[in-house]
Formats: sequence, C-alpha cells, structure tokens
Amino acid sequence: MSTAVEQRLVELWETPKTIKGLLSTVDHKEIGKRYIATAMVFLFIGGIEALIMRIQLARPDQAILGPETYNQIFTMHGMTMIFWYASPILSGFGVYLVPLMIGSRDMAFPRFNAFTYWTYLLSGVLLYISPFLGQSPHGGWFAYVPYTNVPYSPGWGMDFYNTSLILLTISTTGGAINFIVTILHLRAPGMAVSKMPLFLYSTLTVSFVTVFALPSLTAANIFLELDRRWGTHFFDVAYGGSVVLWQHLFWFFGHPWVYIIFLPATGMISLIVPVFSRRPIVGYAYVAIATVLTGVVGFGVWVHHMFAIGEGHMGMSFFSAASMTISIFTIVQVWAWLATIWKGHPVLTTSMHFAIAFIALIVVGGLSGVVTAVIPVDWQMTDTYFVVSHIHYVLVGANMMPVFAAFYYWLPKMTGRMLDEKLGKISFWIIFVGFNLAFFPMHLLGVLGMPRRIYTYKPGLGWDGINMLITVGAFILAFGILLSLINFFWSLKNGRLAGKNPWNADTLEWSTESPPAPYGSVHIPTVVTRHPLWDEHEEEEDPKGERVLDQDRLTLSSTWLDAETISLARMPEDTILPLLLALGFFVLFIALTFQWYWLALGCVVFSMIVAAIWFWPKPQEGELA
Amino acid sequence: MNPVLIDKPSPTTQAPPPVRLVDNKRGTWGMAFFIATEAALFLAMFFAYYYTDKTSSQWRGEIPPKLHYALPMLAVLLVSSAVLYWGEQQVKKLRYGAARIALIGTILLGIVFLVLTYFEDMEHLQHLTPRTDSYGSIFYAITSLHGAHVLFGLLMLTWVLVMPRWEPALYTPHRPYHNVAMYWHFVDTVWIFIVALLYVAPNLYNYA
Repeated sequence: MSTAVEQRLVELWETPKTIKGLLSTVDHKEIGKRYIATAMVFLFIGGIEALIMRIQLARPDQAILGPETYNQIFTMHGMTMIFWYASPILSGFGVYLVPLMIGSRDMAFPRFNAFTYWTYLLSGVLLYISPFLGQSPHGGWFAYVPYTNVPYSPGWGMDFYNTSLILLTISTTGGAINFIVTILHLRAPGMAVSKMPLFLYSTLTVSFVTVFALPSLTAANIFLELDRRWGTHFFDVAYGGSVVLWQHLFWFFGHPWVYIIFLPATGMISLIVPVFSRRPIVGYAYVAIATVLTGVVGFGVWVHHMFAIGEGHMGMSFFSAASMTISIFTIVQVWAWLATIWKGHPVLTTSMHFAIAFIALIVVGGLSGVVTAVIPVDWQMTDTYFVVSHIHYVLVGANMMPVFAAFYYWLPKMTGRMLDEKLGKISFWIIFVGFNLAFFPMHLLGVLGMPRRIYTYKPGLGWDGINMLITVGAFILAFGILLSLINFFWSLKNGRLAGKNPWNADTLEWSTESPPAPYGSVHIPTVVTRHPLWDEHEEEEDPKGERVLDQDRLTLSSTWLDAETISLARMPEDTILPLLLALGFFVLFIALTFQWYWLALGCVVFSMIVAAIWFWPKPQEGELA
Repeated sequence: MNPVLIDKPSPTTQAPPPVRLVDNKRGTWGMAFFIATEAALFLAMFFAYYYTDKTSSQWRGEIPPKLHYALPMLAVLLVSSAVLYWGEQQVKKLRYGAARIALIGTILLGIVFLVLTYFEDMEHLQHLTPRTDSYGSIFYAITSLHGAHVLFGLLMLTWVLVMPRWEPALYTPHRPYHNVAMYWHFVDTVWIFIVALLYVAPNLYNYA
C-alpha cells in the first residue's frame, strides 16, 4: 500500500526532467539548490576579484591595475560578496531546509519562490553586464554621494549600481515575506514556537528585518538615480540637498543588513554544534531571545558607520552605547555554544571544525567591532585597513565559516552522498590558516595608518612586508576553498551513501530520504518536543493515512503560536509564469539603466499581464477529501 | 554517531484531527507584509523630507503647498475607502452584486483622485518643479510614488472586478477582494499622512 501511496505522491509533486520542467519548477528543493549554486558562482567571481586586488597590492608601486580599474574591481568585489553571495547563500539553505524542517511540502508561495530566485539571478546578470561595457560601479559598495553623482561619475557604472540593487531588493524582500508566512503558517502539527529549531528563529528574525530595512536602500537608490538622470537635487548641496541623507538612508539599511547575513548563519551553528556535541543546546530560550533582540536593536546602531562625519554629541553617544549593547546578544549565543560543547561529547567532524572556527573568529571580529564602537578609536581607525580587517572577520568569519560548516553538514542531505572527511579537514586547516594570515595582519596595517581603497602605495612606509603576507594568505585561503569544491564534486559520484540521518541529528529534515523525495515525507509529521528525532514520539505515526494528503498538491497549515492544524493548504502546479515575470522585470531594469522609456513602459505592461494571468483564479475541481 | 537520548516527552499529544477546510489566509498575510514593506518605503521618504528640511537652509523661503486640491482629494479617497469597506461586508454576506457595485464606485472615485492630481500638478508645477531644488525633488517624489500606488491599486481593483467566480464561494473572489481592499485602504492611509505632513504642517509653520 505504501508504495502505491508514494507513487501517487510522486505523480503529484515530481517535476519532469525536461527543458520545460527546468524552467517552470516551483519545487523548493530545486530552487534552494539553485540559490546555493548561483551564490557559490558569485563567491567565486568575487574571490577572483579579491585575488586580482591582492596581486596589485602585494608590492608597492605596482601598475598592474590603474586607479579607475582598481576602483571598479573593489566595488564589484564588495557588491558581489555582500549582496549576491552572503545573503542569497543563506536564503538558499533556508529555501531548501525550512519546509523540510517544519514538515511542510513547500514554501507558502512556491511560484513566488521561483520568481525571487529568477530575479536574484537576473539582477546579478544585470550587474555583470557593466564590466563588459568597461563601466562598472566604482564608488564602493556604499556609494557615497557626491562622488557617485553625475559630475564625478559620468558613465553608466553607478546606474547599474542603482538598478541592479533595486531589482535585487525586490527579490530579497519577496523571499523574506515568503519565509515569514511559511514559518508562521505551515509548521507541522505540534511545532509550537517554543519547539522551533533555532535556525527558524534566525530566519524569521532576519526576514522581518529585511521587510523593514530594505526599503530604505530602495529609497536611496531611487533618489540617486533621479539625481543622476532626471535632474533632481536630493543630494545636491547647491540646491538645498544633503549628502549626509544618503549615508543615513544607506546605513539605516546597511547595518541591519549585516545581521541579515550573520543571524541565519548563527542559526545554522545553533543546530550543528548541539548535534556534534551530542546533546541539546544549552539555553535554548536565551539563544532564541538573543537572536530576536539582535534583529530589533540592529535598527538602532546605524550611525556608528558615520561617527567620522560629526553628528551631535548626544546622538553619537546613543549610537555608541547601542553598538556596545548589541554585542551582548552575540555573547549570549557564544556562551551557549561553548557551554553546549563543554557539557556535551564533542565529535570533531569537518563541519564541527568550521563551527568552532566560526566561534573563535566571531569573537575576534566582534571585539574589533566593539573597539570601533568607541568613538575616539573609531576616528583613528576609520577608513583604514583596521576596518577592512573587522568587516572580513565578521563577514567571512561569521558567514563563510558557518556556510562551509553547513555544506559539510547538509550537502549529504541534498546529494545523498557524504563528503570526504579527510580532505574536508585538510581543506579546513588551509582555509583557517589562509584566512588568519590574510586578515589578521590587516589590523596592524590599519594601526600603521594604511588607508583602504588605495590602488597602490609608496615603499618604505612599513607596509610592504605585511601586504605581501596578506597576499600570500589570500591565495592560501582561495586554495583551501578550491579543495572543498573539489571535495564536493568528487563526492557526487564517489561519496559514501548518506542514508536518512548520517549524523543522528534531531531536526525533521533528517527524517526524509537523502536526497528527499519530491513530496518530502509521506505522512506530514507531528512534533511533541524540540528534538523530534531524539524523542520517543513517532513523527509519521498515522495509521488511518489522514496526513498523506494525496488528493491534490496539499500540505497542512496551522496556527502561528501553537501550530494547531487549521486547514489544508493547496499548492500550485509548476509554471513558467515566474520566469516570464522575472524576465519582464529584468528587461525593465535594463531599460531604466539606459533611460529607454518606451521599452520600460512596454515591460511594465508585459509584467502586469503576466501577473494578471498568474493570479487568475483556477476552478476548484470538486470537493476535497 | 551515538544516538542522543533526551527526557521522555511529556504526555504524547493526540494526532491532530483531520481537516477539510482549504487554507485561504496565506495570500492575505503575504499582502499584509507587502503593505508593511511599502509602508517602510514611505517612512524612509518622509524621513528624507524631514531630514533635508532640518539640515537645509534653503527651504525657509518655500511657499507652502495650497490645500484647495489636497483636501478634496483626501475626501475622495476617504469616501472610496468607506464604499469599499461596505463592499467587503457585502462579500461576507455573499451578496456579490452589491459588492461589485461597491467596487465600481471605488474605482470611479480613484479615477476622480487621479484627475484631481493632474490638475493639482499642473497648477503646482507653475512655481515648483522636481528640478527647482531639493524641496521640489522630495515633494514630487513622495506624491508621485503615491500616485503610482493609486494607479496600481486601481488596476488591482479592476482585476478583481472582472475576475470570474468559482466555487466554493468562500475561496474566490472573497479573498482577492479582501486582499486588494487591504491594499487600497493602505494607499488611502498614506494620503492622510501626506496631507498632514506635506500639505497642512508647512501651512501651520509657514517655514518661519
């Protein structure tokens, strides 16, 4: 009987392996894998850009890159890594894992999920049209005016900056709304908020932060584009505009964004560390509260990026205090992880290596952050390599390290094959050594006064040896990452079969096959504790088959707090409409970049027609079971 | 790896009772969070307005915008919201004919609003354009963004108007009607804030 049921579910949920199937799938597992792969491509591109810069800076007075090219490359490096790698990679894991983790069969809006992936991909394509015109953005990832306004940046570069970021904002905000509704509305029966895996807390928190913080960036981009091509005066001091307005709008988005690319990574660590410590996490409630508070207080620290412009004394003191306060919430999490390892029986897998390295690096990066929250120190260090070091310790240390921990932990679930532990550990040590060799000396370089964003420097300033060391470290780091990539491709064919639950882990995604069937689990699971697979409760116990839901593409929806089942959620079929709508937006934003207004209008009409078809109601075929 | 044993779960809960109801709330929540992010966008723009006002010396000489269009436009939108609210009540009572009439009324009032916007802008542009100074830039950015939202809202209302009705009745057009109405009420609320902050307040303070 069971196989007949599985057969029926596969018929309902499987996407055919045809070209049409590839372009029209709404399966969250497929889309999640695409997110991860695309983000890794951007990591690769951004890494190449970093290496080119390090070759240029390895020795004084080099002329491999001119100043303009150097400006374009460091801007593209920053944008690629921060916007097109760091957040989407976490969205990718979220899109893949969240439905499995909550025992749902897909995201709340599967078609919209496909749409946000396509817009993410196409916004990256839009950004990377610019190097082929020789006119990439060159104003740094935070693009301060007046430098980025037309008199000083005439080409198309900053227009690409604005349009590609607005398109990405649409994608990211849409994804965040999808996560919120999914996590609040589709949890398995019994998974009350007090029993959610901590990764859900962090994903939910950053999704709320995204909804409220990103519009500020959109507004800034709209204003800058209007200033550049429409003759307005938002940032034009001669006409009563304000250049500091840009900084406020940008950093009101920018600092919450730091938590958007940090918190989901801590959520992953909060799942990985307990599993490899063989015990439940210490202080579950405190970690959950600290996660939410980081998101909330993250809205009140943005001015610490602007201490050097001379705000009022009172305001600066407030933001300085808030910036120090927020570190407390991170410390709560750090102590929870340490206590979990201390009280548990740690198993030092590759994944655990990366997780522990993350804890060490976030402490270093956090401390240099607290240091720069002290205003006099900030004035001394601002725009030096000290800040470059800090940003890389918190972004690489607190995003890339957890992501690699997550790779070694969850890729077996996605591919069905284990990665090689030995090669993994070699890769880890090379990454760890290379990382610290590349970024720790930057602290020193900053104290010695080397400014960031200079394309070369004179010999004899005491910077030469350190810069060479950093370049060597960067290449070692890149080599370590390459080893892990090799490990991944090797494992696809030769890896040991993973089985359902190779780590004996506790969360629901490990109750499915590896890789999971298109429908997830046959019976929608029920949950009674925080650790569904560690308790004695049988998740898929369902003798009457009431939770198979094979009448249609269905899953259960439940109440927000207690996750009591209220209704059947009908899921849409595969469709090509999300891709069409994303293409409409893509051409629209190309048209806006070059001010082709008739084409833009055509794209708006096209997108509206596609959207109207998308939301056209389908006839309901008969009664539900 | 060794299995982890945790304490026995407190009373094993019963399997959830089977349900037959079809979920229709996801779309509503999606719209609610879409509105939330839109509200944040307007908030960022209002912040830009007040921040530039506070830091710019040039705004002192501005003439405050006149109210003789803005206030009637406010009245038009408030009435349209009331009509649409009445329409929502009719949908709940499954009186689709009355609901459709309410929808048509709302759309007509929305069009009246856009026509009034046109006349207001024609008059206002005589002495202030987006290119005059930063005040003009921000003022028109906010009002144009709102105008675009009204237009978008009208298109969605029209879409609900022409949408066929499939059984079961509770599924459609009940939900799309309600969701789009939520958006329309939001657009109206934004106009209340625009009138208060961009039109009335400058007349009270008169940039003294």
